Amino acid sequence: MSAFSSILHKENTGLRTRLIIHGAGIILMAAAFWVFISAVEASRIDSRESDNEIQKYLDLRKMDFGDPVDRTLFRESLDVFYTGQTQRNDSVLTAIDNLRQRQFSDPAYKTGDTQDGLTWNMVRRLSGMYLQFIAVYGIVLIIIYLLAQRIAVYRFIKMKQHRESYLTQALELVRNARANRIGSIGGSAVRKLGLLLAKALVKGILLMLLFTPAYVIAYSVKTTIDTSSILFMILLGIVSNGVLIHTANKFFTFLVSESRKGYVQTAVVKNLHASYEWDAPEGIPLRTLLQIKHGFRSHVFQSIFLNARFQFIPALKEHASFLVTGLIIIEMALNIQGHFCYELLQQILYRQYDIAAAIIFGIFLTVKATEIAIDIWEHKEKRKYGY
Amino acid sequence: MATRTFTGNSWLYNLTSKKDLLWLTIWIAGLGVLWIWDALFLNAPAFVRLQTAFLNSLLTGLMVVLFSLTLGWFLGVSLNTLEHSKSKVGFAILSFVTDILRSIPQIIAVLIGYVVLTILLHKGIIRSSFVQMVWIAGTIAIAVFLEVADTIRQRIDYFRTLDFVDAMLCCGIKERRIMNVEILWKNSRSHMLHKLIAIFGISIFLQCSIDFIISVGLSTDVSLINFPMTLGNLLANVDSKQDILALSNLFTEPGYVSVIFTRHLQGLSVAFCIVFSMLCIYMIANGFVRRHKLA
Repeated sequence: MSAFSSILHKENTGLRTRLIIHGAGIILMAAAFWVFISAVEASRIDSRESDNEIQKYLDLRKMDFGDPVDRTLFRESLDVFYTGQTQRNDSVLTAIDNLRQRQFSDPAYKTGDTQDGLTWNMVRRLSGMYLQFIAVYGIVLIIIYLLAQRIAVYRFIKMKQHRESYLTQALELVRNARANRIGSIGGSAVRKLGLLLAKALVKGILLMLLFTPAYVIAYSVKTTIDTSSILFMILLGIVSNGVLIHTANKFFTFLVSESRKGYVQTAVVKNLHASYEWDAPEGIPLRTLLQIKHGFRSHVFQSIFLNARFQFIPALKEHASFLVTGLIIIEMALNIQGHFCYELLQQILYRQYDIAAAIIFGIFLTVKATEIAIDIWEHKEKRKYGY
Repeated sequence: MATRTFTGNSWLYNLTSKKDLLWLTIWIAGLGVLWIWDALFLNAPAFVRLQTAFLNSLLTGLMVVLFSLTLGWFLGVSLNTLEHSKSKVGFAILSFVTDILRSIPQIIAVLIGYVVLTILLHKGIIRSSFVQMVWIAGTIAIAVFLEVADTIRQRIDYFRTLDFVDAMLCCGIKERRIMNVEILWKNSRSHMLHKLIAIFGISIFLQCSIDFIISVGLSTDVSLINFPMTLGNLLANVDSKQDILALSNLFTEPGYVSVIFTRHLQGLSVAFCIVFSMLCIYMIANGFVRRHKLA
């Protein structure tokens, strides 16, 4: 048992044991979903047999169950054939009413769907959608990973340049004017103030866009752009739901925490470049944001960046899970037919819970696969740095 | 007089140095301006709905925070206690379960909670709006509380690396008190508050998203009108959707901007409430980190 617990104690275990934990998790969930799907299938067979029994009565010629006279005649006939079984006869009539009602209201009857459950045809159909979902997810994850680092680095360097936000600069401008007893601000200062406020507004709008839920963006451009295209989905996945900004913020936090460590001061003493001015002789060229991994050589920021990146890798797991949440929301809320997560919603609506469970298991596998990939990546990085 | 207002200790400049309080003020002020605008231009029934939706979302968010704190605290402390007990079986099982829970995207957990809620509503087991909100909050809390548990574990682990814990144990203080009072209550409130602010933001996002998704259809027996009015619910309303769709007109007819803030106010107000709140909550959490030097 102690071996079992040591395997599950993640923090102290290597890659192999982590993979065993992931594998055990997948097997356990697969078993749970298999039991659930089998139970739904068994209940469907029961329900179908019961419906077939009732359908026999509905198929009786010249019998209209909407007509009170016919209903009374039928009820009396049942009493003749099943004398003394009042409860049973009442149940038959109730079941007939239920089935008739379902035949009118159940979406599956309306669409002509046969509700066969998780058949091979359905699995094949879902597989195509699943592959498409994984492709979109993979592309969005990679782009967010690259973009988030650049945004965080840009923000960090701006912080190191001791630049206040535009709004604070504007307030400072007003304060200085008042503190110097100028009374009113001059023409050039007014222009500067206007420019700062305009920049603050644009920045605010851009930030709000990054926090806007995907469905708000999609609905606001729906009549102008084809919102059902894969490209639009990828774009929405990147810019909406706050995923990009949260991921960038995480990386920024690591950069800040690394920059406070002692080795940074040591590196400065050892004459590594430490200026954070853009394109200054010992500063950082702006174009390095494009080749971020190797762009800060001979600058103290290189080590800060690499150490922050190392810590960022495992943190990607939670962001990946949040990204999946974002993509699910996009597919579901946009009503894009033929997409994996929209299908999940449809199957819940049609009460095909076995298919819904299979789709959820597919999503679970995607997250697990990401976690496994990140664990392997982290392990490789650790070996590279001699951990 | 004017000079005194804008120098030294002026409240405005105190605020700029405390970004979290600044953004809290901006949030309240922004919503206040929206409230006045809506009071002037939005029709009365929609205005009432908007206020109810906002308050309900806020209340549900606060309940999520409360539930997450309770669940996260309990799980974090339990995991830590089990980890340092003689038998590691309990720890192994509990961490395995949390590991699986972590791999389920939040929206799926919330969706499952809503499916169960629709079944309970259909069967008449749940009727009261408040109980529905408690259920929704509980569901969202289950999806997000692991973050609180992680923070709690990180804090306890950090203090365990110091002499702090050993010294207190030597003084005869019980381990339970050291963890719950000395470490978490006395020395980790800022960290927890930061995490709870972030969870409040996530809960608003998840709540609005799931309500919007339900408008697409989750059940033929239970529809949006059966659920308590929330921002997501109101945004999913046909009128609001049309208001948001109207934004497309701006691409072809920029002059339309003059009427959009009066004619399509319901949808725009709801969308603004959601987006502006999420932005401000994010800024408040960031400012809080900076002021308390949590990073």
